[in-house]
Amino acid sequence: MSGPVAFTLDLDGRSQAALAPADATLLTLLRDGLGNTGPKRGCNQGVCGACTVMIDGWPQRACLTLAASCEGKSVRTLEGYGKDPLMQSLQKHFAEGGAVQCGFCTTGMLISARRLLADDPDPSGDAVRAALSGNLCRCVGYRKIVEAVQDAAREAGK
Amino acid sequence: MAAFLERPRTVEEALTCKAVRPDARFLAGGASLIAMRNAGLVVPDGYIALEGIEELHGIMQSPDGGLRIGAMTRHRLCAASASLTGSLELVRQAARQIANPPVRNMGTIGGSLANADPGADYPAALSAADAEVEIAAAEGRRRLGLADFFLDWYETALGEDELLTAILLPAPQAGPSAYRKLARVSGDYATASCAVVLDQDGGLRAAIGGCGPAPLRSTEAETAIRGRLHDAAAIADLGRALVDLADPIDDVRGSAAYRRLLIPRLLASTLAHLLRQEQAA
Amino acid sequence: MTQQDETLAVGKSLPKLENLEKVAGRAAYIADLVRPGMLHGAILGSPLPHARIKGYRLEAALAAPGVVAIVTGEDVGAGLMGAFIKDEPAIARGKVRYLGEPLAAVAAESEAEARAACRLIEVELEELPAVLTPEEGLAAGAPLLHEQLGDYIKIFDSGSEGNLCSRSLFEEGAVEEAWANCDLVLEEVYTTQAQAHVAIEPCGALAEVDQNGRVTLWSANQSVFRVQANVSESLSLPMSRLRCLTPHVGGGFGIKMEPHIQPITVALAMKAGRPVKLILSREEDFEITRARHPFRIRMKTGATEDGLLLARECEVLVDCGAYADDSPGVLGYSLLMARGPYRIANVKCHGKLVYTNKLRFGAYRGFGNPQVTFAGEQQIDEIARQLDLDPFELRRRNLPADGEPWFLGAEVASNGLAQCLDAVARVEPLAPAPLPGRRRGRGLAVNAHISGLLGTGAIVRMLEDGSIVLNTGATDIGQGSDTVLAQICAEALAVPLDMVRVASPDTDGSPFNWGTTASRVTYTTGRAVLGAAREVERQIKEQAGHILECAPDDLALLPGGRVGIRGTDREIPFAAVSGRAHWAAGGPIIGSHSLVFEQPTLDPKRAAALGLPFPRIGVFSFIACLVDVEVEEASGQVRVLEAWSAVDVGRAINPRLVEVQLEGAFVQGLGMALVEEMVWDGPRLANPTLMDYKIPTALDAPLDLHSIIIEAPEPDGPFGAKGAGEIGINPVAAAIANAVRDAMGFRLRDLPLSGERVLDAILAEEAGDAA
Repeated sequence: MSGPVAFTLDLDGRSQAALAPADATLLTLLRDGLGNTGPKRGCNQGVCGACTVMIDGWPQRACLTLAASCEGKSVRTLEGYGKDPLMQSLQKHFAEGGAVQCGFCTTGMLISARRLLADDPDPSGDAVRAALSGNLCRCVGYRKIVEAVQDAAREAGK
Repeated sequence: MAAFLERPRTVEEALTCKAVRPDARFLAGGASLIAMRNAGLVVPDGYIALEGIEELHGIMQSPDGGLRIGAMTRHRLCAASASLTGSLELVRQAARQIANPPVRNMGTIGGSLANADPGADYPAALSAADAEVEIAAAEGRRRLGLADFFLDWYETALGEDELLTAILLPAPQAGPSAYRKLARVSGDYATASCAVVLDQDGGLRAAIGGCGPAPLRSTEAETAIRGRLHDAAAIADLGRALVDLADPIDDVRGSAAYRRLLIPRLLASTLAHLLRQEQAA
Repeated sequence: MTQQDETLAVGKSLPKLENLEKVAGRAAYIADLVRPGMLHGAILGSPLPHARIKGYRLEAALAAPGVVAIVTGEDVGAGLMGAFIKDEPAIARGKVRYLGEPLAAVAAESEAEARAACRLIEVELEELPAVLTPEEGLAAGAPLLHEQLGDYIKIFDSGSEGNLCSRSLFEEGAVEEAWANCDLVLEEVYTTQAQAHVAIEPCGALAEVDQNGRVTLWSANQSVFRVQANVSESLSLPMSRLRCLTPHVGGGFGIKMEPHIQPITVALAMKAGRPVKLILSREEDFEITRARHPFRIRMKTGATEDGLLLARECEVLVDCGAYADDSPGVLGYSLLMARGPYRIANVKCHGKLVYTNKLRFGAYRGFGNPQVTFAGEQQIDEIARQLDLDPFELRRRNLPADGEPWFLGAEVASNGLAQCLDAVARVEPLAPAPLPGRRRGRGLAVNAHISGLLGTGAIVRMLEDGSIVLNTGATDIGQGSDTVLAQICAEALAVPLDMVRVASPDTDGSPFNWGTTASRVTYTTGRAVLGAAREVERQIKEQAGHILECAPDDLALLPGGRVGIRGTDREIPFAAVSGRAHWAAGGPIIGSHSLVFEQPTLDPKRAAALGLPFPRIGVFSFIACLVDVEVEEASGQVRVLEAWSAVDVGRAINPRLVEVQLEGAFVQGLGMALVEEMVWDGPRLANPTLMDYKIPTALDAPLDLHSIIIEAPEPDGPFGAKGAGEIGINPVAAAIANAVRDAMGFRLRDLPLSGERVLDAILAEEAGDAA
């Protein structure tokens, strides 16, 4: 297996055929190959979290994932959440609650928060902080992001 | 030159791939290797992805009551494992302090050990837990204690043609045990870390991370402190013994001098925490 | 209070206009833009900090796959750019002055090909001795960074000579005589570190040249007009040949105000004849953009035994880096603010700015104020301790009276600092640490910051259907200025917010706006918006007067986009007004207003100033910041438990956005106080990655961050508003240092207050006690 690799992944609920160099990252494939610019390149080192996507249900770094290794896996970006009630609730409370400033970290934050709400429908502030500790924000100071996640959880729990 | 990605299904296939393509790198979770690749620090010809090898995944109990953690077991699973309790609780605590949740969803215990970053969390915890590693080569498998596994800065006993397959832990005892990391911010590599296991006979095992190429352990000093865990002088002796073993560097996380200072202090505070916990139990 | 109850938009925490785009992941940032036929750019950074460029060998790179064009210093003419001193070329030319400085750039079909080709470029360099600290730079016989310094065009000219980029000296009263009257004089040296901005979006640009040679340039920026000016100067292009636009911007904090790689990207696009996009890697963003200036500060303060502050002297030595950039402004501004918000009759603030072979330091939130405040507010705290005075009481005794001017004489028309102090003084006492081996302390620091500066404009247009488009040219970098300006416009015209659309900044179509900097957009651009909206109101009433057959003065704007005759039920919608204007009489309704801030900084009868970079500066916001910390004795690590920032912003147009500014600024300040530091290993930045340069995560920032908004209205501010963007960071390091002093009994004068520094102090204290 040498040169570009052809493979299929489940991207945002659809079967997606892809052709990428074997060492291309998922982030490069998504952004440059497939025009899905929701995940951002903030550091390309897996530290900032702006590229976080859901892979087989778990938030992971698209910049540290080889695209071809996603063959047969489910990759979900914000585009794939459509009418997902938890994600919609998160998006609403992020937008309305002051959790969005420059927005560059927001898509990754939402992916991490979405996983947390699947595991913990009523997270404490510390649980939210821990869940989002891999998503750097330089604008907001985190408090309003944590509150938005808790508000979204409360609303979804009703 | 185009890179390649091999996806073997068994350890044997993986070793064969490596024999055929010696300049390829085994790819575990990718959390370190791809980061280094992205930074241009390594330029592998290709990758041999280990993910598809069933045997490398999961935490299993051995017949002797010990635990076998497959090398591809994600940090997330170790961090949540109910098997890692008592004397092995510190392994779980170490796993929970690695980087952050998305990276813990990717990174693997084998990848972490093979990378041998002195600031990583597993080495000190596993060292204090008396873990061994299992290494596979074409001619068979061997077991190695951690003291023999870490050779130098970022250097292990793994041969070019070998694959780390599992981490082997002795059967859990009552403990308690704890892993304490000192880092600049949450998720950073350790400036220094300390792992302590108390045993039932008034003794302990203690390892220090981040203060040399490999975790620091002194079995001699551990023997000396047996039965004197509440004796400040004995604790200081153990701290001094570990400082004597230390070979820290100056880096952006702290100076070598700071790291030397931290060794006895982290040891004392971690031990005090465990003794309080033991008393409360 | 009644005023607030009556508002439609102002004073309301409305969500930001663009948030739905952002939470959907659809908002486009510079890296997301694509143009037909677009190439990708990459840069080759210098391996040496100081060298003469002897020649380039480009053949191998030009022959590499995908390569279309290469640009070097030989391609960019003789133009130089700089906000204060025009000393910086678009790309290194003749000399290279810091390690990482772009020597060449490649445009290729893919980013990977461009980066690979950069590695094939050979540049022959003749190494020169490097200057790595300001002290080295000032030493006799030091190697010179800018041999042509005397010939440069200087917008601001103050003492530039040798490696001295600029100097400033401000004086009021008679400091030297005043010390004798003081019962207590403290004099200490403080140092602050280089802090990286770490906007999560790295810098980038995309340039395209049309068949007439006209350039369209998108970039991550804080001012399309500064982008235009810098590219124009450095590439010797007339401004009319440059159209500068902005996508969404992923954070700024100062790093995107002056140029980064826009000039290089334009040069590449011109040479390649195709659009070129160049996005910096995180490492490049650390190495070649800019950072907060390291300061060495000698601060001296004298007081009477009653706690009256009589005199202060502040002397600073500032590392400029390789190019002047905004540095002369930072030096001057820091000295203007170094007195602090107190009445002190005798003040002397002076300092030097020195070129070094490091990346240019530049504007970073606070603009020199956090550095001098770290020194000044620790000294005030220490005076309170030594005089056995409550730190609140000492500060209250030295507050200026209403109407007292700022240091040097600028008018202070509103000052809510006393209310800020009262607000944080109400906080419950701090409980002792519950765990052994930990100690807790509380620290207070206060500060003022200026919002204002320079020119700004606004155009308000009514569309045919009566809805409104607001065009100001102010780049919203995420802080919410589009929303705030729309709120001001909506309030002025009594329309709902969704009737106002905000045009994206465009140097072709937007009125001039100096930039999103100096905490200025709400105050200065808000004033322009209000002026333009009033003009629109006048035209609406004139039109409606014709329709309703009444005098314009009898008309009032009614909520919801209607205008009617006061005291009657006769009213018409804006659509009717606009229809008449568009199709019958008077012409489309367009209101515009522009202004430049004109109040003088200096009253020459009161003070003397040499090297004053901002002769007309702005209006004053105030803050009191209270912080609780816990220190772990084993490691020396400091953790912030809870914090309160009470800030006088004049009027909060959007209170929630003010809170976010304060909370975000606090956490950046926490990073500066405790962990962040750019470290150089000789000339090489040792930690240009997020692996090694750490900023606070959600687990490092306290959840209990309290923002308290105080409103002392600014008479000429829009609805009383003044700035809020920077002030929140200024007192944080000082407040944390004061809290550490409270907890531990010792004072640290070097930033950051790392675990290592604190532990060293603990051990020194123990050794001292033992001795």
